[in-house]
Amino acid sequence: MTVQPHEVVLRTTGLVKRFGSITAVDGLDLEVRRGEVVGLLGPNGAGKSTTIGMVLGLITPTAGSAEVLGRDVRVRREDALAGVGAMLEVTAFYPYLSGRDNLAAVAILRGGGALTPVDALLTRLGLAQRGGSKFRTYSLGMRQRLGIASTLLGDPALVILDEPANGLDPAGQREIRELIRELAGENRGVLLASHLLYEVEQVCDRVLVIKKGKLIASGTVAEVTRGGGSFFEIVVGDKRRAAEILRGAGVKEIRETPTGLDVVADPERGADLNRALASAGLYASAIIPRASSLEDVFLELTEPEAPSAPPAS
Amino acid sequence: MLRQLRSELYRLVRRWMPWIMLGLIVVIAFVFYFLIWVSVNAQIQAVKSGTIPAPPGGIAPLEQTLRQIAPDRVAQLGVGIVGGLGSVMLIVFAASHVGTEFGWGTFRTLLAHGASRSGFLVSKAVSLVLYAIVFMIVGTIAAIAASYAVSAAAGISVGGSVDLPGVARVAAKTGYTFLPYMALALAIAVWSKSAGAGIASGLVVYFAEGLVAGILVSLNKDYAQIVNWGLSRNASALTRTSGGPATQDPTASTLPDPTQAAIVLAVYCVIFLALAYWRLRTRDVTVGG
Repeated sequence: MTVQPHEVVLRTTGLVKRFGSITAVDGLDLEVRRGEVVGLLGPNGAGKSTTIGMVLGLITPTAGSAEVLGRDVRVRREDALAGVGAMLEVTAFYPYLSGRDNLAAVAILRGGGALTPVDALLTRLGLAQRGGSKFRTYSLGMRQRLGIASTLLGDPALVILDEPANGLDPAGQREIRELIRELAGENRGVLLASHLLYEVEQVCDRVLVIKKGKLIASGTVAEVTRGGGSFFEIVVGDKRRAAEILRGAGVKEIRETPTGLDVVADPERGADLNRALASAGLYASAIIPRASSLEDVFLELTEPEAPSAPPAS
Repeated sequence: MLRQLRSELYRLVRRWMPWIMLGLIVVIAFVFYFLIWVSVNAQIQAVKSGTIPAPPGGIAPLEQTLRQIAPDRVAQLGVGIVGGLGSVMLIVFAASHVGTEFGWGTFRTLLAHGASRSGFLVSKAVSLVLYAIVFMIVGTIAAIAASYAVSAAAGISVGGSVDLPGVARVAAKTGYTFLPYMALALAIAVWSKSAGAGIASGLVVYFAEGLVAGILVSLNKDYAQIVNWGLSRNASALTRTSGGPATQDPTASTLPDPTQAAIVLAVYCVIFLALAYWRLRTRDVTVGG
């Protein structure tokens, strides 16, 4: 079978999951292509794990569909999942088996036999020394590594990683980031659910932000952070007057800070703002361009709504 | 589905529990034969020396009891020992074999790696049947060996050899009666996602249902028409025809026909497995299973 370089390996269409009166996932459309790493972001309870559960056929969607390599997971689950390597948030293996035997058991399940390079995978994930130890003796970080190793059995086109860096030390986290990029370099699609926004910012080509099961932002990291807006931190004494001048100069969003103002404006408008203040006789001590980080944007997008005011009596 | 079974067997042979149970049934077979010889022989010696009064009929009934340890009686005593304890051990094993998958969260891992729910159930059921077969073979061989060893030590003539086809037939029927209890333990473990619940339910039904059925039929034989649709009476009907312990049952005349019993037990197996499958198929697998 010819592998298309940017073939869609995962597509969900109108995916919905309701648990009783709670809608965990609400009409989610997403795509992952070969060679790209897509970050799935959202606060706790946003629906990330439920989405992954539906993609893997663990959870039955209330509506919509998930397709892996064009195969509907509900209709052709085994065929579809033959192309998927998945690591769930809680890495669970048989405690009485060694890491090597656990991988071998998964390899047999996936149709591999004695030829499956289990030892090579253990080495790749830094577990060669402890491959013969029982899984129950593994630290959290080692369990995560074994979980990631298991996703690579069977040469999957799509790798799904749910919080892969949980329990890893900084060096381990870096290794995993590098591994994720390698996977994309091997022309696999990677769906990465993570709370570590720095990690996502480093490795993801695109991010999807979901909140209460709905997709609220998507695009490259640059596109999403641009949506959060770049701004200028202006250090100025007379904040009230400075705000009036800047509004007059066309600035719409101004936030007061202890040292002055944060002014939302395009990065190229720095000179304009400075000129407007100076021509009004107000001199800023500093005008510092700032860009919203993914974390800023994430927090802004996913912050809980303010409680509604109680009805007037 | 074959891949799932292979993976299941790969894991099964690397687990301690099944090996420990096989070791236990071997030890138990020898210990029981030895204890029977020691205790009956002690009674005979005590009667002979006048330490205790002779029972009605003298020592002949005691010597008859001692004769039970001879190899030509393995089908009755040896298989009875293996069946009596083996049933409990296999119920515990069946529940554990399935329930731990939920406790460890490995059911979810298996599904995430492409296993199907039906494949999971079939591979569990088939591996349990295979294990029950191995268990009965090992237990029966141990009983035969124990019979020869203890008979030789006791000075009982071992001239009458083991009727191997007969022993195999009895062991097969006895093993067959375990299957619905194992299927029940499996189904409860699936429904409750707990090995403990499967073990408890399996054992309670195994002991309580037989007890209640026996009491009811003792009170009024008409109750047999109802309780003969249960597990224990049908299991007894099969073991009775095999010359096992149920021959002593005073209500044996009301037991169902053996063929009907075999069919009823098979139907129970199908029902329990179908219920387990229905639950697996309709349940969303979130944390654990």
